[in-house]
Amino acid sequence: MDSILFLILRRLRRPLIFIIVSFGIAIIGLTLMPGTDDKGHPWHMSVFQALYVISYTATTIGFGEVPYPFSQAQRMWMTFSIYLTVIPWFYAIGKIITLLQDPSLRLAMSTERFARSVRQLQEPFYILCSYGESASVLAKALDEKGMRVVVIEPQQERLTELELSDTRSVIPYICADAKLPENLIRAGVHHPLCSGVVTLTDNDEVNLAVAVAVKLMNPDLPVLARAERDDIAANMASFGTDHIINPYTLFGDQLAIRVHAIGTYILHEWLTDIPGDTIPPPETPPRGQWVVCGYGRFGKSVIKNLEREHISATIVEAMPQLTGCEQYILGSGTEAKTLIEAGIESAVGIVAGTDNDINNLSIVMTAYELNPKLFVVIRKNKRHNDTLFKQFNADITMQPTDIIAHECLAHMISPMLAQFLALARNQSNSWSNQLISKLVGKVGELVPETWAVTIDQQGAPAVAAFLSKGHPVSLYNLTQDPTDREQQLDLVPLMLLRDNMPILVPDTFTTLAIGDRILFCGRPAAKATLPILLDHVKTLAYILDGVEVPDSIVWRWLKTKLQANCASHT
Amino acid sequence: MNLEKVVFGFFIVLAMTLNFGFFIGDIDNPSHHHVYELYAAIVVSLIATVLKFGDRTHVGAILLSTSLAADLQLITAAILWAALDGKMDEASLTVYIVSLSGGALMANFISVILLIAETISQRR
Repeated sequence: MDSILFLILRRLRRPLIFIIVSFGIAIIGLTLMPGTDDKGHPWHMSVFQALYVISYTATTIGFGEVPYPFSQAQRMWMTFSIYLTVIPWFYAIGKIITLLQDPSLRLAMSTERFARSVRQLQEPFYILCSYGESASVLAKALDEKGMRVVVIEPQQERLTELELSDTRSVIPYICADAKLPENLIRAGVHHPLCSGVVTLTDNDEVNLAVAVAVKLMNPDLPVLARAERDDIAANMASFGTDHIINPYTLFGDQLAIRVHAIGTYILHEWLTDIPGDTIPPPETPPRGQWVVCGYGRFGKSVIKNLEREHISATIVEAMPQLTGCEQYILGSGTEAKTLIEAGIESAVGIVAGTDNDINNLSIVMTAYELNPKLFVVIRKNKRHNDTLFKQFNADITMQPTDIIAHECLAHMISPMLAQFLALARNQSNSWSNQLISKLVGKVGELVPETWAVTIDQQGAPAVAAFLSKGHPVSLYNLTQDPTDREQQLDLVPLMLLRDNMPILVPDTFTTLAIGDRILFCGRPAAKATLPILLDHVKTLAYILDGVEVPDSIVWRWLKTKLQANCASHT
Repeated sequence: MNLEKVVFGFFIVLAMTLNFGFFIGDIDNPSHHHVYELYAAIVVSLIATVLKFGDRTHVGAILLSTSLAADLQLITAAILWAALDGKMDEASLTVYIVSLSGGALMANFISVILLIAETISQRR
């Protein structure tokens, strides 16, 4: 703020000096002009009276000739003073208005406002180093989950979009380049409550620069970075970037999961979606011969994962030299001839994975005409083509945006969720299906909230108090409703972490121990209620024993008295 | 030689000398303290203040604050004069005004010392 004040003062120096000098001359002249009072005696204005007259004249308010009508000499001086003082006055006002509209000053002010609102944040927050397609989805999801976000974005149009969007809490933003360390500092890299930096621009170099800068400035801060090129990803990994997100590899993985364990896939999508959304039931890709058009980063990842699932695929590629493809059918796939050559008529599925949306649509439309039973996987590159893709309605539309956002959410909601999902991938499909039906029975079809609880003095003081007294508390107790212990809260414990050993979907009669970490999944209402149970000894005592513990000293004393009396009588 | 420095130094020194000129004389004798001298001291002091705006160095900040202190006292003296003129005896009113301007003189004096100190520390 100081710098802005100094900037204003410096720019206003000249107009202020003009005003002071012109007023100074006009006032002194007016006191020197001879006048007469109402009784005809000679009279001179005092300095104060002159200041008064000149002030209202210069500001064009004009009260007239006070206290007595002016003499000819005074009027002559006033005529001169009007021109002398009014012009500097307007000059100063004009200067102030130009100053307020000055782009550099406005930039300085908005930067300062941003830095201040970040400094004043009292809750944990994440820094998003762009507000592109995936980052905007992520920001919305985090906001829905009640987590705070700060945005750095170099393009004003995207920020206008952010400004117009409806968010629960205020999202401070700045129009600046995230590569510059000073902007990262303004966004709160050194803030004690900053929980991480997410850089998801579509430019790998920028993501790399941000990751390096953050790791240098605050090595303990988790960094989630998007990287599409392998060399950049390796570079990021070399200095400890916590999570490197490659949308193509992720999609390949997910496709493989869908082929062999659709339940696991649904679980993953469901737990990392925006709370309150529903997700449509996905379809399982069929086994058989596939045709993959485009052997770029996306195509390679798809082929690798299909091969892992023992599904064979024919590659259609227009530029095999560039992509390093060995067995292929030459062509772009948009013509029927190439597709027939690739055996589209006998294939069960097609993947249109080029980096051109229109070509992808053309490929699948041609293929569909040749073989209407095809399972269609299409890659969408640009969000503005959304309508076209909706119209086509492919079996799987691959959107890098959503994949990145989901992956980030899994890491950002809680590190435990990412661990849980990784472990869930190794489970069987029927395990996932059982868990899903259990979850749906408890929390409904809508996307639930997921959160982690640590059983210790800070995270759950009441539970810790009971445990240290030797009173066992089981996981089941944490699922009881504090208003009526016969009722259950709408939540399911997904994972229990004890001494870094994860237990998936722990049995509810497990007894808790201090240091346990539990991942819960449940309705928002249950998430809001659980802390009451964890924090208040009285509530927990009711849950455990069904007894209301008296609050005040007097009542506690009376109760012990009464109990003693009862005991002595019997 | 830098014209800006000349103007800057001129106003700071002039603010002090005018202030001193008003202050000197018997403290309760109105004929020793002319109203125009106080007026000139205020105008020059205001100009000196504005000239000091925008200097972000440490010395610049102290210079500005001494000027603000001088302005405050001189303007208070002028307001007292305008408000109490004719309502109390001239001698005691003059004592108020002159003692306030004496305070302002101290501030202006510090300002000039800082200016000299800064000039001497310039090794050119």
